[in-house]
Amino acid sequence: MKKELPIALGLVAGLIWIITTYFTGPRWVETVHQELSKWYQLAGAYMVMVGVVNLTRVHGHRITQKKKDWMYSIVALVCMFGIMIFGIFIAKDSNNPGWKTFYSQIIAPMNATVYSTLVFYIASAAYRAFRIRNSQATILLVSALIMMLGRVPLGAMISPVIPQLADWILNVPNVAGMRGIQIGAAFGGIATALRVLVGIERGYMGGTE
Amino acid sequence: MLSKIGNVDRRIIYVLLCAVIAIALIKPVGLAIKVSAETKKVYDAIDRLPPGSIVWLGFEFDAGGIPELMPAARAIIRHGFQKDIRFVCGGMWTMAGDMATMAFDAVKKDFPDKQYGVDWVNIGYRPGNTIWLDQMIKDAAAASAGVDSYGNPLADLPLMQEFTGIKDAKMMIIFVTGTPGTPEYIKTVSTPYGIPLAVSTISVEVPGTMPYINSGQVLGGVLGMKGAAEYEVLVNKPGSAVAGMDAQSFAHALIILFIILGNIGYILEKKNSVAK
Repeated sequence: MKKELPIALGLVAGLIWIITTYFTGPRWVETVHQELSKWYQLAGAYMVMVGVVNLTRVHGHRITQKKKDWMYSIVALVCMFGIMIFGIFIAKDSNNPGWKTFYSQIIAPMNATVYSTLVFYIASAAYRAFRIRNSQATILLVSALIMMLGRVPLGAMISPVIPQLADWILNVPNVAGMRGIQIGAAFGGIATALRVLVGIERGYMGGTE
Repeated sequence: MLSKIGNVDRRIIYVLLCAVIAIALIKPVGLAIKVSAETKKVYDAIDRLPPGSIVWLGFEFDAGGIPELMPAARAIIRHGFQKDIRFVCGGMWTMAGDMATMAFDAVKKDFPDKQYGVDWVNIGYRPGNTIWLDQMIKDAAAASAGVDSYGNPLADLPLMQEFTGIKDAKMMIIFVTGTPGTPEYIKTVSTPYGIPLAVSTISVEVPGTMPYINSGQVLGGVLGMKGAAEYEVLVNKPGSAVAGMDAQSFAHALIILFIILGNIGYILEKKNSVAK
C-alpha cells in the first residue's frame, strides 16, 4: 500500500493533467486544469521547505564532520537563513527597499561578474582546443572561424561571403542537428513521463527503480 | 622556440583580451552593421501593428544577460513607443521586474508623454514557471495576485482594463537567456492561442533558437548583441550594442589570431617529435 498509493495518485493526477491540457470541451475540464495549476504552485511552495531542511542537513553534516571546504557550507547556511530572517522579521513587505538592495547591489553584480568572466575562459579554451588534430577537428575549427567572423561586422568587411557562410552553417547543419536533439529529447521526456505515470520509474519515492 | 607559441600562458591571453575590449569600447571605430533578415522580421512585425496595440514583453533573464538583451529591449520599447504601441511585461525569472524597470527607465525620458499604467505596466516576477504563464493567458490579475511589480493594484491601472491576460496581446516579444524561455512560450501560449512570438536572445542561445525561427513558430529573432546592434541601427539610436560590436569584432579577431598561433605551434611541435 505504501508504494501503490503514491503510484495511483501520480497516475490519476498525471492523466487528469494530460487530458485537461490536450483536450478542450466542457467547462469542468478548464476548472480542473486551473485548480490543478494552483495545487502545483502550492506543492512547489511546500517543496521549498523540504529543500531548506535538506540543505541544512547536508551542509550541517559537512560542517560538523569538517569535510573538505566546510567553511563554504557556513557561508551557504548563513546566506540562506540570513535572507529568511530578513524576509520574515525585517522586510515583511515584498516592496521593501531592502529586497531591491539585495538584488541590485549583491545578486546582480555577482551574476554579471560570473557571466562576464566566461569570455576569458572561452578565449583560453578556444586557443587550446581548436587544433587540427584530425579531419573532424579541422571541420570544427573551420566552422568556428567562419562563425566567429561571420557574426561580427569585421567578417563582412573582409568578405561578404563570410556572413553568408555563417548564416548557412546556422540555418542548415545547425538546425538539422539541433532539431534532432530537440525531437530526441522530447521523445525521451515522453518516455520518462510514461514510465513515471505507470510506476516503472520510482525515483520520486526515494527508490532507484 | 616557435613551438612555444602553441602554449601561451593563459594570463597573457586574458590581459590582451581585456585590453582589446577596453580600447574598442573607449574608442569605437564604428564598423558598418548590416541588418539581418531575422532582426528585420521583428522590426516589420512591430511596424505593422496598429497604434494602441498591446504587446507582451517577457523579461526572461537576469543580470548576466544585460549586455546583450538590455540594448535590444530598449530599442524595441523605443520602436514601440514611436508607433504608439503599449506594453505589458513580466516574467518567470526572479529579476524580471527589475530588468523591465531598467529598460523602461532608460527609454521613458525620451517620451515624456508616455505614462506608467497607461502606456506600459510592469507585472514583474511571479513564481510558478509555465503554470504561471498558463494562468496569465486568461486572467493576469489572478495569476499576479492583483498587483504589479511595485505593489500597485492592477485594477487601478487604466491599461489593465483592456488587458485581462496575454490572450489580449497582439504579439509577444521575449528576452531570453535560457530556461524557462522560448520553448515554454511556444508550447504554453503562442502555439495553442496563435499569438505571434518574437525572441531576443543571447548569442549562446542562438543555435537552439534557429529551429523555431526556421519552422515559423518564432516569427523572427533579435539574436545576440549583433541583433541588438541591428535593431539600434533600425530605430536610428545607436547605443551600447553598436559600440559593443566593435569590441566583439576585435575580441573575435584576437581569439582567431591565437587559434592560428596555437595551430602553428602544434604543427611545429609535431614535426619536431617526428624528427626526433
